[in-house]
Amino acid sequence: MRGDGVHEIELTVNGVVRRAQVSPETTLLAALRDSWGLTGSKLGCDVGDCGACTVLVDGLSINSCLLLAVQANGRDVVTIEGLGGFEYLHPLQAAFERLSSYQCGFCAPGMIISAKALLDENPAPTELQIREALSGNLCRCTGYTKVIDAITEVCRDHAGAVGVEQSV
Amino acid sequence: MKTFEYIAPESLDDALEAMERHGSDLKPLAGGTDLLVDLKHTLNGPRIVMDISGVPELRGIEETPAGLRIGAMVTHTEIEQAPLIAEHAPAMIAAAVTIGAVQTRNMGTIGGNLVTCVPSLDSGPVLVALDALVTMAGVGGKRQLPLTEFFLGPRQTALAPDELLIDILIPTAMLGRPTSFRKFGLRKGQALALVNVAANVKVEEGRIAETRIALGAVSPTVIRAVNAEGIVTGKEVGDTAVLREAAQTAVTEARPIDDFRASAAYRRELIAVGTFRVLEEALAQATTA
Amino acid sequence: MSRKITDEKKAEGQKLLAAAPVTHPPAVVPDSLPSVPALTPEVNKQTPAVGQRVARPDIRTHVTGTTRYIDDLSFPGMLHCKILRSAHAHARIISIDLSEAGNMPGVVATLTGDEVPVNSFGSTYKDQPVLAADRVRYRGDGVVAIAAETEQQALEALAGVKVEYEPLPAVFDPLEAMGPESPKIHRNNNVYTSKVIARGDVDRGFEESDHIFERRYTTQMIEHVPLEPFAAIALFEPDGQLHLYSTNGRITLGRADLARTLNVPMNRIRLTATIIGGNFGGKNEIRTEPILALLAKKTGRPVKAVYTREEEFIASTTRHPLVMDYKTGVAKDGRLLARAVHLVLDGGAYASWSETTVGKAAILAAGPYRIPNVRVEGHAVYTNKTVTGAMRGFGAPQVAFAYESQMDEIASSLGMDPLEIRMLNGFDEGSASHTGQTLQAVALKETLLMAAKRSGWQEVGR
Repeated sequence: MRGDGVHEIELTVNGVVRRAQVSPETTLLAALRDSWGLTGSKLGCDVGDCGACTVLVDGLSINSCLLLAVQANGRDVVTIEGLGGFEYLHPLQAAFERLSSYQCGFCAPGMIISAKALLDENPAPTELQIREALSGNLCRCTGYTKVIDAITEVCRDHAGAVGVEQSV
Repeated sequence: MKTFEYIAPESLDDALEAMERHGSDLKPLAGGTDLLVDLKHTLNGPRIVMDISGVPELRGIEETPAGLRIGAMVTHTEIEQAPLIAEHAPAMIAAAVTIGAVQTRNMGTIGGNLVTCVPSLDSGPVLVALDALVTMAGVGGKRQLPLTEFFLGPRQTALAPDELLIDILIPTAMLGRPTSFRKFGLRKGQALALVNVAANVKVEEGRIAETRIALGAVSPTVIRAVNAEGIVTGKEVGDTAVLREAAQTAVTEARPIDDFRASAAYRRELIAVGTFRVLEEALAQATTA
Repeated sequence: MSRKITDEKKAEGQKLLAAAPVTHPPAVVPDSLPSVPALTPEVNKQTPAVGQRVARPDIRTHVTGTTRYIDDLSFPGMLHCKILRSAHAHARIISIDLSEAGNMPGVVATLTGDEVPVNSFGSTYKDQPVLAADRVRYRGDGVVAIAAETEQQALEALAGVKVEYEPLPAVFDPLEAMGPESPKIHRNNNVYTSKVIARGDVDRGFEESDHIFERRYTTQMIEHVPLEPFAAIALFEPDGQLHLYSTNGRITLGRADLARTLNVPMNRIRLTATIIGGNFGGKNEIRTEPILALLAKKTGRPVKAVYTREEEFIASTTRHPLVMDYKTGVAKDGRLLARAVHLVLDGGAYASWSETTVGKAAILAAGPYRIPNVRVEGHAVYTNKTVTGAMRGFGAPQVAFAYESQMDEIASSLGMDPLEIRMLNGFDEGSASHTGQTLQAVALKETLLMAAKRSGWQEVGR
């Protein structure tokens, strides 16, 4: 705390230590987007209903619009930018690309983080479990079918290759 | 959001001192899933937001001589995954999984859910059916109240302005009591309950020795359907007619409203169906145990 | 519950129609049309692309979170704009006092409607103000815009704005708004666009019918809820050219509207649109762009505005609710002989895309069925509610709900299979539409039969 209403925060974002000076009411979402240019996480509703801002904090998927940046101090954050880049795609991203699971793409980052959180905990979910895990991520374009298909494909393809401990 | 001062005490004493010193200028922050939404919709927010996630007395789930103690800061996800809850009060898990979505459950706390106290709160009915007590603390000391006396009205609890909710206790006598929970909503996820209902039973020598039926979302606070309970008590297990009678009686004890989500008439239907089902399921649990 | 169209109601409707500005003459269809053979596309022969699987060109940026939407862009010195919206559904603006707001921390500029060179825009009729200057007509009407260093400062400055209103009676029901006693929202008549489709002689058709079915159907207002809220940024290039970035789906239309409201030649306006996070019709007209342009001019800095989710609901456009009165005459064997339809569209506070919607709804109202006698009247009516505009379907989904519901009711009443009655009456190859178009490549019956087969309709029944 700097005494003039500004807090210095330091946290790990996608494996890299990041610092910023933020006023207390700054949400983690705003810090990611404005302080560090990580605009992959989106602002859809700002009240934790749509899930477009979903990121992982210490491995748990949360709505970054409802977490203060100061609360994320010292924690480990993973955003969509941390899953893969243009050259290297995470298996989930590759599956979503293969199946063209997204149309406008605005829900994609949050949805993909939720999918990863699911598979980190449960590498072989049923369709119902996939739907429940994604129920906090809204999509207005697609009807979710190809998102679920892609996740199912990833689980199938990795069932033999990936052990239970290893996160997908 | 309007700016505020952010403090994060690391002991209960510090937290309570701050609350006493600042009074209504201060708001405690637990999971944030309710508070931050409120702060985003007002220009008259608190001057100080106090993050209580670092207060150790608010955490943990443990067995005590008095019963199962659940810290106020325990999240809904932690409840879902707690072996002690699965063992002693699995209906709490059935309720927790209906709250919001994965993201909300990872942040939202049981204490926050109780303190926000909306009529449709999902953690309410099961805890009321389990005779839960809540502990509150201010600088002056601690006190404990039955949950039914903690809930005063929509968004109104017995919590004094300088008090924090510390924990929830399920008394020993109610641990392992066969309990069932049902929530009816317009969706299966991210849904506000139209009606939620919990019931448990104690079976002795083929008869229902004790029962609790708790209804939520159909009254200003969660209520016990005591008349319905009276109909079932002492009856033989297997008498489904009495369960139906109890379900119809429960309807008369509720005061559901008409709103854009559902009509009062439809909610009455749901109360009847829901009460019957949770009684039936609780009995099934009791007789196969 | 059925609502009979009584003679009184009919007379009332005729009176209203006489008073309404009919924007297009009735389309009267000749009795016989020459037959034109259908054009059947030859898959893979006409073009090798047809039938091939294609990967979306933007999918990789979507899945890596690198797609740049408008809110992901920012420019050095950029200001944030927030808009104060009306406190009333219908009111006269008496005064606007910006003395306090203008001096609040971080505020760099303010804007009111009287500073807009041409304070009107719209996709068909230019009846909507950029910022309301003398009158507000719904709660989403913008009155004052403020540009500040941060969004929060802009929001807090809005609270310092003092607007004096004189509330006016408001009307929210379109049927009520059609009445002569209703508060008038724009001109002397709240009915602002109408369409009539007429073919044959419905009165004679009803006389020849064995059964008459009458019912009112209604549909509700629907919001697109694109996941991405409307966002725009305005800045001036060093050579004075206005450059806008916007989630606008119609760039040329946008530039034309902007040229008009700002009184600037269109070739001095550059509008960059990018991948939109969901449109569905709700982002097909300008919203904040003229405001941002004027604020950017005043301040010499880029200005951005992003709608909140609440603004998306109240201050963007929505799907028209419709009140649809259907009267259908049917022969005892199930053939449709006559159909009279009266449509009232809740046209919101401003016209937006209502003319297109009325047109489409009217053209499609009688359904994809061969009916020799048809009369459809459709009217869009102003109400003091959120503007209704384009949303996928443009009037078609609403009338489809009505005519398909009535087909089922007719089938049920006659003891016919709902599939059978549609096979009996449905369009065929070369059928004439109700506006006289010869229809080609008509696959209605094949589709119904295939759907019936795949769903096991025959086995399951109704």
